Amino acid sequence: MTGPDPTPGRPGRARWVLGGLLLAVPLALAVAGPPAAGEPAPPGVPFAAGTGPLGTDFVGRDVWWQVLSGGRAVVTVALAATGLAYLAGAPLGLLAAMTRRRLLDELLMRPLDLLLAIPSMLLLILLAAAAPPGPPGLVPIVAAINLPEITRICRAAALESAAGPVMEAMLGQGEGWWRRAGYAARSMLRTLLADLGVRVVGALYLVATASFLGIGVPPDAADWAVMVDRNRAGMFVRPEAVLVPALLLVSLAVGLNLLFDQIRTRRTA
Amino acid sequence: MIMHGYVVRRLSLGLAQIVLVTALVFALTEALPGDAAVVLAGDAPDPGRVARLRHELGLTGSAAERYTGWLLGVLRGDLGTSMIAGRPVAAFIAESGPPTAQLAAITLLLLVPLAVAGGVAAAVRPGRALDRVISGTSVALYAVPEFALAIVLGAVFALRLGWLPPTAIGAGGDLLADPAVLVLPVLVLLARPICSISRLVRGGMIDALGSGYAAHARRLGLAPRRVRWAHALPNAVTPAVQQLARTTDWLLGGVITVEAVFVVPGLGSALTGAVAARDVPVILALALLFAATTVTVNLLADIAAYRLAPRSDGAG
Repeated sequence: MTGPDPTPGRPGRARWVLGGLLLAVPLALAVAGPPAAGEPAPPGVPFAAGTGPLGTDFVGRDVWWQVLSGGRAVVTVALAATGLAYLAGAPLGLLAAMTRRRLLDELLMRPLDLLLAIPSMLLLILLAAAAPPGPPGLVPIVAAINLPEITRICRAAALESAAGPVMEAMLGQGEGWWRRAGYAARSMLRTLLADLGVRVVGALYLVATASFLGIGVPPDAADWAVMVDRNRAGMFVRPEAVLVPALLLVSLAVGLNLLFDQIRTRRTA
Repeated sequence: MIMHGYVVRRLSLGLAQIVLVTALVFALTEALPGDAAVVLAGDAPDPGRVARLRHELGLTGSAAERYTGWLLGVLRGDLGTSMIAGRPVAAFIAESGPPTAQLAAITLLLLVPLAVAGGVAAAVRPGRALDRVISGTSVALYAVPEFALAIVLGAVFALRLGWLPPTAIGAGGDLLADPAVLVLPVLVLLARPICSISRLVRGGMIDALGSGYAAHARRLGLAPRRVRWAHALPNAVTPAVQQLARTTDWLLGGVITVEAVFVVPGLGSALTGAVAARDVPVILALALLFAATTVTVNLLADIAAYRLAPRSDGAG
């Protein structure tokens, strides 16, 4: 997506530190939060001071408990969906790039172009309405939305080596299809690693937005994005019930992108 | 003329794409559990009543029949009738279209000059303070989901400072009549596309300014300003123009979120409502509208890219 960064004196260290710090807080909460949260306290009065440091939410549950348990779903679904999309997209792209038959290439890629023409949010809303709510239903949907772009990038990355001199030599020596596919797969790995960050951030964006819109999640799920949506009614009384999860999501997204961008510029420099 | 044949080919391809998208969306609505009859029957899902409603709504035929019926209607200029509201879909869209169109138009109007100016300003002295600030901000902002940004901005500017209204409630269908309600939604919609496009412009500008023809233009004694804007920029914005087309997809998604956060009665709200109510004619009309917009914008972008840098493969 973004080209190589030819900046001479890169603003390296500051961005590494900032990105790392921004990512560390939400990530630590997502990983260590759920076990640390323990059993939920019995619900009290909605949007009251409550017993926890952040008061209570729209149905009187402890907001701090929700903050502790609400990060895991977003992070896991985003990572799982990205993984699943690569699992399906990489072989498809490789196959399309390796084939000598134009028809097979078109047959693989044209339907994905069609999928790209559907606005992703429309696709998300429709698919989620048909799937059971909850993380297991959301993973394949987000993966499916990311599939066309990932396949295109895999195909483009593999095509460079599939049409290159090494491949010609391998063909000339009569190397088998699997050996050649293995070579093309190894050579596209570099491009894929540079692109990985964009994909993870994109998946995170989709998962959080879907959860906020109430798509594909139970309405009372312990989830940062759902908290932002459901606690908006008490924004005047208890803004922290909305702002803390919103800022955690912002911090997660910004941290991830800063770090991935640093990795990318370093690789291309 | 090459250009002419190219446009005709792309147009027919785009039309086929739009029809296929609506077919796919129709197939997806078929897969949804329940239909409009079940929704209308509400709390009393008496099987006889549901069957009667289904008959009245014309939901009894096969899926292929219903889709062909819809498609033929569209060719005659008839988008059908909303199953839930009982009104023509065209009237429905005429009502919720303007707020979304206003949001999108203002965003695009501001987006292009701001993104180009930001990208060029950053590219003039790469690595210096201004570039670092612009590039750093764009990397950071790029990833933030619209709803989170909207909530944070709303908390600061609407709740704490009280400068702007927190929602568009009360503004009705015409947002332009009350420009203050537009500020926060447009800011939120701008954030993501501005980052990606200014980054692309910056990268393209750095390449173009370092290229042989830019050096040659400078050697000929042309003013740096002229080299920058008249010679380097047209080549530098080509990838950005194509990214601008992808931005329509973001804008559509962003509009849905922004309308939900700021309570704007636009197409995004209409879409979420229609899917929840299984109102297939409205869903199909919106899919048609969105797909047509996406295809048209992509076509325009490819043509613009072709005009700006004829050597690049516009079909790519």
